[in-house]
Amino acid sequence: MMVDLLAPLAADAILVIGALSLLLVDLILPPGEKRILGYGTIGVLLAALISTFALDLSGEAVGGAYEGDALALFFKRGFYVSAILASLASLDFGAKIWPRRQGEYFQLLLYSVLGMSLLAGVRDLLLLAVAFELMGVPLYAMAAFSRKDKLAVEGGLKLYLTGAVSSAVTLYGMSMLFGASGSTNLAEIASAPSSPMLAMGVALTLAGMGFKLGVAPFHMWVPDTYRGSPPPFVVLVAVAPKIAGIAALTRLLLAGDGALLDSVSELLLLLAWFTVIVGNVMALPQDSVRRLLGFSGVGHMGLLLLGLTTGTAEGIAAMLFYVAGYIFTTAGALLVLSAVADEDGNDGLARFAGLSQRSGFLAFAMLVFLLSLGGIPFVVGFWAKLYLFLAAWGAGYQLSVLFIALVGVIGLYYYLRVSRAMYMTEPTVEGPISVDLGTQLAIALCLVFVVGMGLVPQPFVAVAETAASVLR
Amino acid sequence: MTHMVLTVAAILFALGIYGVTTRKNAIGILVSVELMANAVNLNLVAFSQHWGATGQSFALFAIALTVAEVVVGLALVVLLYRTRKNVNIDLASDLRS
Repeated sequence: MMVDLLAPLAADAILVIGALSLLLVDLILPPGEKRILGYGTIGVLLAALISTFALDLSGEAVGGAYEGDALALFFKRGFYVSAILASLASLDFGAKIWPRRQGEYFQLLLYSVLGMSLLAGVRDLLLLAVAFELMGVPLYAMAAFSRKDKLAVEGGLKLYLTGAVSSAVTLYGMSMLFGASGSTNLAEIASAPSSPMLAMGVALTLAGMGFKLGVAPFHMWVPDTYRGSPPPFVVLVAVAPKIAGIAALTRLLLAGDGALLDSVSELLLLLAWFTVIVGNVMALPQDSVRRLLGFSGVGHMGLLLLGLTTGTAEGIAAMLFYVAGYIFTTAGALLVLSAVADEDGNDGLARFAGLSQRSGFLAFAMLVFLLSLGGIPFVVGFWAKLYLFLAAWGAGYQLSVLFIALVGVIGLYYYLRVSRAMYMTEPTVEGPISVDLGTQLAIALCLVFVVGMGLVPQPFVAVAETAASVLR
Repeated sequence: MTHMVLTVAAILFALGIYGVTTRKNAIGILVSVELMANAVNLNLVAFSQHWGATGQSFALFAIALTVAEVVVGLALVVLLYRTRKNVNIDLASDLRS
């Protein structure tokens, strides 16, 4: 009976069991052999990923607070894949920088992924609050994991302070949602009669989650944390929690008949516009490529918000396809970056000068990822943008589409600036770059998906459409 | 009665926001975040008068969540002190471009 009730959470159970076993194995292993814990983590995440395909995870669990539907599975797979990419990059880095504490790092990673994984199918305010914190708290600790590194601690503290304030604001909003509707069930909240308190609750919850998403004007932590934190961690934090934020917003705003979305759609659209402007304009003067990608990531969040604002099945499907593209493109670009940055984390444009002569593979991969971020045809970024714009146009947001597409053109400038440095200037640092096997594998995976989804987008779009069809 | 409690909670929340934005000391910011979290708990408990015990159990969860968060925050402040010998966040600005 108990097993039946928890069956839709089988993938999450794998993560829990994996993380706890990691804790025990970590205690037994001698200090020199902790590396195996990283492989174990990737194994656990792979097992969870496979379980989403192999097992039937549909149905309600924990008294209706969680429901495994196609949308939940879509997001779960996204989280697991991005966590696998980040773990691959962490293998060598962790063994070198914090050899004795690898177990802790990977455990925190698994707990955070567990939080995201629960968010994917959340149906209840209480589970939403708990899962959101479970996702966030381990990230704060991981950001400052190089604890003697001034910059990492500063980046971690900035992530923490914005995160703590944002969760307080989110909880305050949630308390109002509860107060206005008398229920913690999201569908019941959506069907409650509209009142100022309900609208304020949604707005505050939205603002709190905006911090996690890095939506302007709540984006201040993004570039600093990207620049200060350990590079493999940035691969995780730039992708998974942001997608989780989108998942949580989708669940909250489109619960029931989507009445909550209608009450904040203007606000959401305003945030989308502002985010796109801030992300693209602030990226222009950046020299640190990580800060540049940070701001560009802020810009991409604006596009995702546009997709969410439409609230139509096409809009959500386009947003999900964009999410899939975003995972591989952003993770790929940051993986290349973690390979190119030096020991102190310097990643100015000078480090990229003449990269094509130092490592043809890295330069080519980075070029593909940058083209995809800029939305150039035949890589996934182009189709993602196209579908999103078409869906938003069809839903009656013509002005926003024109505006956001125009602002996106600014993005091309700074993406091409990096490409130019890689291919058209002489290297300032001599010698080939050595990349560890894990990072190479992760970059190759991203490359395959970015190009593959660019050449044959249809199957992935079909998956996104199935996932979006469960709403409304 | 309920609306008075809600007003107190809103004032607490506003004080917390004020503290977060004006405090230079990292510990001070954490205290302000605690104020905001307590406003949430007060809100939830006040709503329980209307809606029954769900709000109170929500408040218990909220307390546990805030504790977990603040513990990590204090650890980060300790790290900040160790790396910089002070906890003034305005001086921790090496990442500003």
